[in-house]
Amino acid sequence: MSPNYPRVLPCGDSALTIEFGNEIDARLNEQVIELDREVRRARLPGVIETVPTYCSLLVHLDPVNSAHADLILTLSRLARDVRPQPGKGRRWRVPVVYGGNFGEDLDALAKARGISPEQAIELHSETTYRVFMVGFMPGFTYLGGLDPRLATPRRGTPRRRIPGGSVAIGGGQTAIGSIPSPSGWHLIGRTPVRSFHPDRNPIFLFEPGDAVEFEPFPAEEWERLEAQFASGDAFPKSCA
Amino acid sequence: MPVKVISPGLATSVQDLGRPGYYHLGIPISGGMDRLALRSANLLVGNAEGAAALETVFLGPELEFTEDAIVAVAGAELPPLVDGEPRETWASFKVKAGQRLSFNYLEAGARAYIAVSGGIDVPPALGSRSTYALGALGGLEGRNLQVGDVVALGESGNSVREGRSVPGHLRRLPGTPAELRAIPGLYWHRITEESKASFFDDTWKVASEADRIGYRFQKGRSLNFNERTQPFGAGSDPSNIVDSCYPYGSIQVPGGTEPIVLHRDAVSGGGYFMVGTVISADMDLIGQLQPNMDTKFVEVDLETALAARRERRNHLERIRESVKE
Repeated sequence: MSPNYPRVLPCGDSALTIEFGNEIDARLNEQVIELDREVRRARLPGVIETVPTYCSLLVHLDPVNSAHADLILTLSRLARDVRPQPGKGRRWRVPVVYGGNFGEDLDALAKARGISPEQAIELHSETTYRVFMVGFMPGFTYLGGLDPRLATPRRGTPRRRIPGGSVAIGGGQTAIGSIPSPSGWHLIGRTPVRSFHPDRNPIFLFEPGDAVEFEPFPAEEWERLEAQFASGDAFPKSCA
Repeated sequence: MPVKVISPGLATSVQDLGRPGYYHLGIPISGGMDRLALRSANLLVGNAEGAAALETVFLGPELEFTEDAIVAVAGAELPPLVDGEPRETWASFKVKAGQRLSFNYLEAGARAYIAVSGGIDVPPALGSRSTYALGALGGLEGRNLQVGDVVALGESGNSVREGRSVPGHLRRLPGTPAELRAIPGLYWHRITEESKASFFDDTWKVASEADRIGYRFQKGRSLNFNERTQPFGAGSDPSNIVDSCYPYGSIQVPGGTEPIVLHRDAVSGGGYFMVGTVISADMDLIGQLQPNMDTKFVEVDLETALAARRERRNHLERIRESVKE
């Protein structure tokens, strides 16, 4: 029994979720991003903020000031009529140092997948990824498009703290971490680029719908790259 | 006219009503966990309700004032002392230049809000003075208070006076067991009928992992999942979903074992399913739960939740009236 998408689901009394599906799929994500634009544009009374994710949009509400049922109807109509606009995002090239101290799970992950660490790096850095969602932590950037040969179930026991800028694989997803955080994903590399930097303008770099490519660098280059990026003074050019 | 931090307490941070608008980038709203108490404390000292105050948990700080100020402490029963002399909670009192504000042991609740006339004056970050420690944002350098910190105060208006109080029947702390009303939702259909019943029947205990990000509960029965094929991209545990946004108050149950209710410093998303959401009217109460406290989730429908939300608003209105007199 598969539900009729898009559908509006209440999350308590102060949020609604509008679901377009339940899978990782660029087309679903394009619909989410476009609906997000529409809802922001509509400036509906009672809507506080919106959060686009892989396949759903979360809408935070203050329903005392607006009829809850009316909002459900309005959002349903917007969702039904939404026309995705593919290819609007920017394109980023992100430097990464893979393996060793910068990605301590790389060797084990490659071994589990029956490939060499070099092959894993190649597979990971030859793909153009789509930013599906930003969240979990400030600036944590979820990427879709991982080569299935690298897909690996999350760790049984999450680490309590991983470094900022970690590039990791969790299931069929890969991601760029921003600030130190707990994580159950496999660490394969690290980037000096900070997707979230409170003292920088812009504070955030990547947005849903953007494209990201990784550029491997040898470990010896780390200090130079870090000096360049971690201060927040520089950030990778979007090569749109 | 700054305040000196002689000792910071266990975890004391600057909080106001938070910074909505950045959750889609992973920055939670933050702000006081018990909003009603934060607003009350501010009203008592003549501040705007959303002025920045200090949120302190379990063990209060010791502060030295360098100028006269009016202070109020609301929320948890954390008895204030001025140079060692007891003062009432939920009431405004004077602290003179050179005097020290400290606290006796916690008697009930978990978080007290210390409002000072003029409000805490730190530079707003993304529109709010609230501390979001995980993201090193807001407050005092994005962190909790430390020994030796100097906290600036804003200009206080002329409506400041001591001796105001919020009457007892308008103060709100959780009962025993604490009851958190929740609306089942989102992924409720993923668990078995038996687990749906046990979730609301069981008495849960607040775990030691209970902070501004979220509260974990344990000692209830584990939830069992209905069989299904995991959708593409979801993790392999039956409690995994394709990563999604976590609303404030949402109840996630990693592995089906220990529910976590996300609070003001929530992680904005992740790959765990949610059984439901604690209603907005009861979010403040979570901030007053101590570890090991018995807690029950009480099933309500949307209509009840919206009514409770209106009632909470009326409650706040009654506090405003009582403080005005």
